[in-house]
Amino acid sequence: MTAYIIRRLWQMIPTLLGVMLLVFVIFNMVGGDPAYVLAGKISNQEQIDNIRKQLGVDQPYHVQLGIFAKQVVTGDFGASWSTNEKISNILGTRLGPSLMVLVPLLFLETLLAIAFALAVAYVRGSLTDRAVMIVCTAGMSISILVYIIVFQYWLAYKLGWFPVQGWGNGFWENLFVYSSLPILIGLVVSIAPNLRLYRTFVLDEINQDYVRTARAKGLSDNTILWTHVLRNASIPIITHVMAGLPGLLVGAFLIERFFSIPGIGREVILAVERSDFPVVKAITIYVAVATMVANLLADLMYKAVDPRVQLK
Amino acid sequence: MMGVWRSLAMLILGAMATGAPAADMGKTLRITFQVAETGFDPVRIHDYYSGTVIETVYDSLLGYDYLARPSKLAPRAAELPQVTDGGRTYTFKIRKGILFTPDAAFKGKRRELVAEDFAYTIKRFLDPKNRSPYAFFFEGKILGLDDLAAEAKKSGRFDYDRKIPGFEIPDSHTLRIKLKDPDYTFSQILAFSQTSAVAREVIETYGEESNFHPVGTGPYMLDKYVRSSKIFLKANPDYRKETWDFKPGADPRDKDIVARMKGKQIPAIGNVEISIVEESQARMLAFENGETDLEYQLWDVSTRFMTEDNKLVPDFVKKGIRLDRIVDPEITYTYMNTLDKIGDQPNPVGGFTRERIALRRAIAMAYNLGDQIRIIRKNQSVKAEYPIPPGVTGHEPAWKNNIRHDPAGANALLERVGYKKGADGYRSQPDGTPLLIRYSTTPDERGRLFAELMKKSMDSIGVRIDIHIDKFPELLKAEKQCRLMVRGAAWIADYPDGDNFMQLLYGPNAYQSNNACYKSAEYDKLYEKSKLMPDGAERNKLYREMTKIMERDTPWIMNDSRYRNTLLHKQVVGYKKHPILHADWVYIDLDKRAK
Repeated sequence: MTAYIIRRLWQMIPTLLGVMLLVFVIFNMVGGDPAYVLAGKISNQEQIDNIRKQLGVDQPYHVQLGIFAKQVVTGDFGASWSTNEKISNILGTRLGPSLMVLVPLLFLETLLAIAFALAVAYVRGSLTDRAVMIVCTAGMSISILVYIIVFQYWLAYKLGWFPVQGWGNGFWENLFVYSSLPILIGLVVSIAPNLRLYRTFVLDEINQDYVRTARAKGLSDNTILWTHVLRNASIPIITHVMAGLPGLLVGAFLIERFFSIPGIGREVILAVERSDFPVVKAITIYVAVATMVANLLADLMYKAVDPRVQLK
Repeated sequence: MMGVWRSLAMLILGAMATGAPAADMGKTLRITFQVAETGFDPVRIHDYYSGTVIETVYDSLLGYDYLARPSKLAPRAAELPQVTDGGRTYTFKIRKGILFTPDAAFKGKRRELVAEDFAYTIKRFLDPKNRSPYAFFFEGKILGLDDLAAEAKKSGRFDYDRKIPGFEIPDSHTLRIKLKDPDYTFSQILAFSQTSAVAREVIETYGEESNFHPVGTGPYMLDKYVRSSKIFLKANPDYRKETWDFKPGADPRDKDIVARMKGKQIPAIGNVEISIVEESQARMLAFENGETDLEYQLWDVSTRFMTEDNKLVPDFVKKGIRLDRIVDPEITYTYMNTLDKIGDQPNPVGGFTRERIALRRAIAMAYNLGDQIRIIRKNQSVKAEYPIPPGVTGHEPAWKNNIRHDPAGANALLERVGYKKGADGYRSQPDGTPLLIRYSTTPDERGRLFAELMKKSMDSIGVRIDIHIDKFPELLKAEKQCRLMVRGAAWIADYPDGDNFMQLLYGPNAYQSNNACYKSAEYDKLYEKSKLMPDGAERNKLYREMTKIMERDTPWIMNDSRYRNTLLHKQVVGYKKHPILHADWVYIDLDKRAK
C-alpha cells in the first residue's frame, strides 16, 4: 500500500509539469497583456514598459516559466496584479465561503441522490420510476441560470423566505441564512443527473445473482438494498463523488456571483476579467493538485469498500 | 523644547476635535458596488468604486459644491487657491486642525494634515514603483518633478526628501505649486479624489499593503472590510465640524433639499455598509426588498422600473421610491483611425484627401445611432452633439452636430467621390481596389450588439465590414499603438473641464488618449491656445472652432451620453446626483421615520 501511494505521488510530478506548461501557454496566448489595463486611461509606452517590467512579463518566456515553476514548488504565488493582495490571502479568505455552500451541498446531494436512486431502482419500470426519470430529464435540460433567476425572484424576493443576496459575519448566520437558498438551488440542479447516474449503478447490481441468492435466503429488501447492493454500487459512486471534490476549490461561479458570496468562484471570474494571471495560475495549480489527490483517495477508498480490489 | 510644544498643541487639537460624533451612529446607509474594489491607496488605483471609498476616507485639497450645476469647485482640506503668475503658480492654504484618523503608524500620537503631505502625495504619482494610472495628471507639469522621476527610473529609488522648485512650503499649512506652463485646469485636478493626501508614515509602514490600510482625514473611516465583498465605513469622530450649507440652484428640487438638509452636520449618517453585488437582478431585487437604500446604474433592467417615456413605474411611485436622473459627464464615440497606414498596410479610412474625409463622413451618416439608443441602451442615453458632455464646463447645450443620420445622403456622397458599387452590392475604393473596413470589438454580448449594428449600418451604404473580435486588453494594446481601424470608445470626465475632452483629439496625444490618432495642425494650434486660457467665453469660442474642424475631418462618429438612474427609497433625504462626486451620499441623510 505504502509503495503504491509513493508511486502515485511520484506520478503527480509529470502531470503537474504538464498542467503548468498548459496554463502558461494558454494564458500567454489568450490572456491578454495586463499592462495596458493597469496603465489607466492615459499612458505612454514608457509607463507601460515600466508596468511590464514590474510584473515580470517583459522577461523571456523561459525565464517566466522558471519563475512559475519556483512558485509552484514553494507554494508562494506572490500577489495579485490588480490589487496587490497576496494570493495566499485571497485563497485563505475566499475558500471558506465557497466551502460553506459546497460542502453541505455535496453531502446532501450525494445522500439524497443515493437514497432516491435506490428507491426508484427498487420500483424499476413502474410508473413512479418513469415519472421520476421524466422529471429528472426535464430538470437536467434547464440551465442553472434559470433556476437561479427564478428561485431568487420567487423564493427570496416574492415569498421572502430567504435574503435576495448577501453574506454575513457569523458561521451559523452564513450557513443557515445566506447559504440556504444557494444550497437549495445547487441541490435542485445536481440531484437529477446524479439520481439518474446512481440509478444505473444500482440497476447494474440489482440484477446480479447475489441479490437473487440473498432474496432466496430470506433477507429483507432493505437489507439487500442498503447493505449488499449499495456496497457493490459504491465504487462508481465514489469515483463520481471524488471527481467532484476538486470542484469545491473552484466554487460555484454563477451561484457565488448572483448571491454575492465572497468565494473562490467569484474571485476566479474577477481574475479572468482583470487578466490577473497570478490568481488564475495559483487556483489552476491548486485544483490540479486537488484532482490528483482526490483520484488517489478514490483508489484507496475502493480498497476500503471492496477488499477484492488490489492496488498495484 | 519645540517638540514638547508641538505635542501639546497636537493634544489640544485632538481634544478640540474629539467629542460626540456629529453623525447619527444609529443610522446606516446600505448601498452596493457592482464591481469589486481594488484597494484604497489613492495613487495606485484607477477604478470608480475604489475611488468612491477614497473620496470619503481621505481629503483632497479641493472639493465640489454639492448643489451647484455646472460643477463648481469648493474648499475642502484647503481654501480655494490663489492663482498667480498667469496660471503658473497655485498657492493653497491648508485648513488647520485637520487630523488623520489614529493608526499604529503614528505610534500613539495625533497627526495633523500639513502641506508636506500633499507634496508627498503628488510626488508619489511619479514614483515608478507605484505605477500610478493617474501619473498623467502631473507629468510634465510641476517644476523639477519630472527630473526627480527620471532619476528614480535610473536609480530605482524615488528621493522623496529632495526639494524641488515646483513645491514651496513657506509654512506648515501653505503649499505653493509652481508649474512649467500655465494650466487653468490644475485646481480641478486637485479636486480629484485620487489626489487626496496620505501620510508618509502610513505608506512607509504598510509598504506593498498600502492598498488595504486607508488612513485619511475624510468624513468616514474604514471600520470593517471583507475584500471584494463588504466595506463598512463609519463616521470619522475627529472629522472637522462641517455644516451643510449649500445654496440652491435653478433646479426646483434644490429648495426642498436645502430645507431638509441645511444646518446638519456633514456627514449626517453614522455608518455606511457597501456590498459588492455584481448582478443587476440581485441588486434590483435587493433594492425592492428594502435590503439597500439606493441603487444606481441599472441599465439592463431599466424596463422594470421605468416606463417607455422614462418615468418611474406607478408601482414604485406608490411605494414612495424616487428616481434621480442625470446625463453622465461622458461621451461615447466611434473613432476612425486617420493614419494613412496601419502598420505597413494601407488604411482605407485614414488620411485627409477629399475621398477619405468623404468616406468617414458617409460612415458617420450611415451609423444608426437611433437604434443604438433604442435597442442597445434601452433608451437610457441621449445623442452626444458636442464633444464636451453636459455637466462639464465648455459644454454647448444648443450645439447640433452637423452630421445627421442620412444613409441616402451617405450613398450619394460616396457615389460622388468615386466609391462605386459592384455587382455584389458592395463598394470599391476610387482606385478600384476593394473597400474593407475593419471594426474591432470585444467578445461579449454588448460587443456583439454593437458589431451587428455597425454591420447593418454599413450594409445600408454598401461598405463591406470585417468584424474583428479580441479581448479587451489586446484591443487596448492595439489601440495604444494606433493599429485599430474603427472601434467604439467612451470617455468619462476625470474633472469637469472641457480640456479633459478636447485633449482626446490633440495630435501629440496619439498613442495615448487620442485613439483616432488624429493629427490636425489647425486643431492642435487652437488646442494649445486654449490650454493657456481659463474657462470663459474666449476659450469656448476656440472649442467651437475645434469642434467644427473635428466635424469636418470626421475622425469620430459622435455617439451618446448615458443616463445615470438612481433609485431612492423614501427614507433617503437630500440626494441629488453630482456629476463628478462619486460619494455624493456624504451629503445626504436618512429619515428613520420614513422607513
